[in-house]
Amino acid sequence: MTAPPWLEVLDETLAACRTHGREDLALRLLRRRDRPSGGTRVAVLGFPKQGKGYLVNAVLNAPVCAVGDAPTPAVPVEIGYAAEPAATLIGRSDERIPVAVERMTGEIGARPTGSLRRVEVGVPRELLSAGLVLVDTPAIGDPRSARTAAALDVLADADAVVLVSDATTPLNSAELALAHHVRTWCPHVILALTKIDVCPSWRAVAEKDRTALSDAGIDARVLPVSATVRQAAAKTGDQELNARSGFPELLSWIAEQVARPAERSSALLAAVSVRAAAAELVETLRTRAEVAGRDAGVDQTTLLHRAQRKADDLRKRNTRWQNLLSDEIADLLSDAEFDLRERTRHIVEVIDETFDRGDPIKVWDEFGPWLGDTLTKAVETNYAWAAERAEWIAQAVAVSFGEQYDQPDLQFVDADAELIGEVRQPRIEGFKIGQKMFTGLRGSYGGVLMFGLITNISMGLSMFNPISAAAGVAFAAKTISDEGGMRLQRRQAVAKMTAQRHVDDVFLRFSKDCRDAIRGVQRKLRDHFTALADELSEQLARERETIIAGSAERERRTVRLRREIERLASLHQRAGELGLLAGRAPRELPA
Amino acid sequence: MTEDVRGLLADAFSLYRGSPRAAGLLREALDHLEQPLRVGITGAAGTGKSTLAAALGDWPTRALRDLALLDDPPPGTLTDATVRLFRHLEPDELAAALPTPRSAFARQTAVDTILVLARADETGAGRIDALLTAKQLARRAWREDPLCSGSQGVIAVAGQLAYGARAFDDDEFELLAAFAAVPREELERYLISVDSFTDPAFPGPVSVDTRRSLVSRFGLFGVRLALTLIRTGCDSRLKLSAELVRRSGLGELRDTIAGCFAARADALKARTAVVRLETVLQAEPRPHGDRLAARVERFAATAHDFRELRLIADIRGGRTALSGDPAEEAVQLLGAQGTAPEERLGLAPDADPREVYAAGIDAVRRWRHEAERPDRPPAERAAAHVVVRSAEGLLALFA
Repeated sequence: MTAPPWLEVLDETLAACRTHGREDLALRLLRRRDRPSGGTRVAVLGFPKQGKGYLVNAVLNAPVCAVGDAPTPAVPVEIGYAAEPAATLIGRSDERIPVAVERMTGEIGARPTGSLRRVEVGVPRELLSAGLVLVDTPAIGDPRSARTAAALDVLADADAVVLVSDATTPLNSAELALAHHVRTWCPHVILALTKIDVCPSWRAVAEKDRTALSDAGIDARVLPVSATVRQAAAKTGDQELNARSGFPELLSWIAEQVARPAERSSALLAAVSVRAAAAELVETLRTRAEVAGRDAGVDQTTLLHRAQRKADDLRKRNTRWQNLLSDEIADLLSDAEFDLRERTRHIVEVIDETFDRGDPIKVWDEFGPWLGDTLTKAVETNYAWAAERAEWIAQAVAVSFGEQYDQPDLQFVDADAELIGEVRQPRIEGFKIGQKMFTGLRGSYGGVLMFGLITNISMGLSMFNPISAAAGVAFAAKTISDEGGMRLQRRQAVAKMTAQRHVDDVFLRFSKDCRDAIRGVQRKLRDHFTALADELSEQLARERETIIAGSAERERRTVRLRREIERLASLHQRAGELGLLAGRAPRELPA
Repeated sequence: MTEDVRGLLADAFSLYRGSPRAAGLLREALDHLEQPLRVGITGAAGTGKSTLAAALGDWPTRALRDLALLDDPPPGTLTDATVRLFRHLEPDELAAALPTPRSAFARQTAVDTILVLARADETGAGRIDALLTAKQLARRAWREDPLCSGSQGVIAVAGQLAYGARAFDDDEFELLAAFAAVPREELERYLISVDSFTDPAFPGPVSVDTRRSLVSRFGLFGVRLALTLIRTGCDSRLKLSAELVRRSGLGELRDTIAGCFAARADALKARTAVVRLETVLQAEPRPHGDRLAARVERFAATAHDFRELRLIADIRGGRTALSGDPAEEAVQLLGAQGTAPEERLGLAPDADPREVYAAGIDAVRRWRHEAERPDRPPAERAAAHVVVRSAEGLLALFA
């Protein structure tokens, strides 16, 4: 047997779909090509709650599909002929799990989403015995959902489609879009208008749907049906009621689909699918060509000008940020030093005050730790403040450089306050009892001597007499107190000096450290932004080269796309001719 | 609460003196504080908004007296609460219609929506148990679907039936009673579809046009239900009307609107104003706007009404561990049946104040005990705390 003429066109289109990354279209064509001959597949499609399940059950006169508030399966259910009722779940990797028909819905629901591919149901119905397979599909919903994809996927091997929409409202835009899509992929479509038993205005709705479909250029009949009426008719065997249900008409349409010669049917389906795939692919390519065209619309000179302007900007920015950085760092250096000096000056003032009045011996135990703490705090505050300013400078520079770039991680060195040693207690002597005695003796000796002489001369008393002795005692006390005052002053001076020197040391050391840290920041920022500037200017240079080289490449790409579109158009045309041969006038490629 | 909001708006006003647009928006919100509560009825085309609005609006009840129902308000209209209609509670449909509010305050205090599964009589191909099925679907969606859980209720309503039942006259009742008198077997085949109901071969002298008008007013489901009800004892117009309204879900919807919206009119209006303020703050930032934003946050945190409404919805939607009598008592104390102390405590409206006080003390004690039981999970204790706060609030009226 020679290969049918449509196979070649189909294969060529399939290859084109693969080349242009539309694997989904390719898969559909593949399924169309490899579809087993014989049998007619009629898919039932529609949005949720339109009565799909009721319709299928009424066609079969058997409760096969889940209806009402029961959740509809998220996979297609294929209903074919079998002598005994049987249901098989087909898993992701084509494993077959037989289940009882009546437990089917529950079994499907119990399995995790995505673990099933489809369900096969066999029922002993004469209607199906000639090889008819009815495919109940998941409800169409969110266009990105897996459920919708699974439903639309059924189109790839459907011979005919029953679209389901209920009579409560006319077709909405989403339903019309679905009808359009279905009609593109499948030549035989009918719209079943369900629930006409409960909708008083179903005739008006049917008329509206007819108009809407023909206005959209979709060639599909509208068939009002009622599953409820059909069920009631079946119960009573009322032929007239059955006729009113609309189902006899639907069944005769289905019979027409089954009766169509298989050979002609495959050719037509192949032709339609090729046309649909080619049209979708052309749409994709056109979008791509448009994008390419938009780039090409801007000519090379404009692009070069743009690049030049960018380079100028970069240069200007370079000077700006460098100036900013050096100015700010200089300010920060002097400010930080001034700040630390201010802080230490205050400390020195307190030291002076303390030792103007206090006795170092008594207060040192308290004073030493205080001085340490205060200095630590001063240094730390100073550092924190400098670090904050440095951070701010980094930001300011980054902004003047262009906000979109990163800032370097600054890591301003923390003040190492541990380095502030404890101020050592100066060697200051107390006034011990021996010293006091000695000093007292010295004073009393002078007093005795002096008063001894005076009394000796004026009163003729002996050198050592009670008066002299009393004077001696008085002198001794005075001398001790004088000597104490002098020692205190000396102690105070020493303490002051020691403390001040310590403060000075700390100041010198940390103002140096802080300066170094600031310089470090400056270097880091400079390196970072210089590197960034270099990188940007390199990028610009590359961009210019690409612009110069790129326009030729773009031109080539556009031509290639255009040629590809032409080729697809011709495939589309050839498929159309094949379709014509198969007995049907195809519509033209939508512009 | 209203005073706080006035203060907030006044401060915002001075901030936005320069912008006529923002000032206009704020002015509108400020004026609205004096006006009746506005409840918008929204939904896609064909969900029956106008029918439902008419069924609710022509209902002279005290509960809905100070309330303006807006049938499908255009976007941008200031509304305080929304009744949103859906044909089906499908995730796609819900997700498309329920956008998350942009303002943080609006999200925290989202107590302004009731979802309605509209045209409930069409559920399950219009079988006689359609309304029950629809009710179950609504209840399940409220308990299980996270998209529905943020609302104050998901209620199945047969709008057309409700409207017909609310407004039908003695002639129509006589007509229905006459149909019901026809032997069931004889009538059955004429009730299969609208076409058969309006078939000229219909037994009895009633004209085709009359039958057509009847079925377009009540729907085929409504006619069937009415006949069944007449046969089973609803033998007067008033009885039938009441029973149909009850079954249509309209009563439940009205009670929810009354309890969650009308009784909280001031809180909801204040909320509307603050949401508006937050939108303005977002749309036109001002240097000191963050202070106002902080005050808005504080307002949201302290407004107990919103917490009460939130908790009522959570308890009724089955999202707390409370159930049975304690749940009933909790929602009552939270003010679901009215916010007056007597109503919260389930006492007669003219109860002795001493009795009210004693019952209040009792409620505080019991719920405080619940709130402090260490064997309960924290969420449950937090819920009990809200109830305690409500009970304390009603005692505060006696202070």
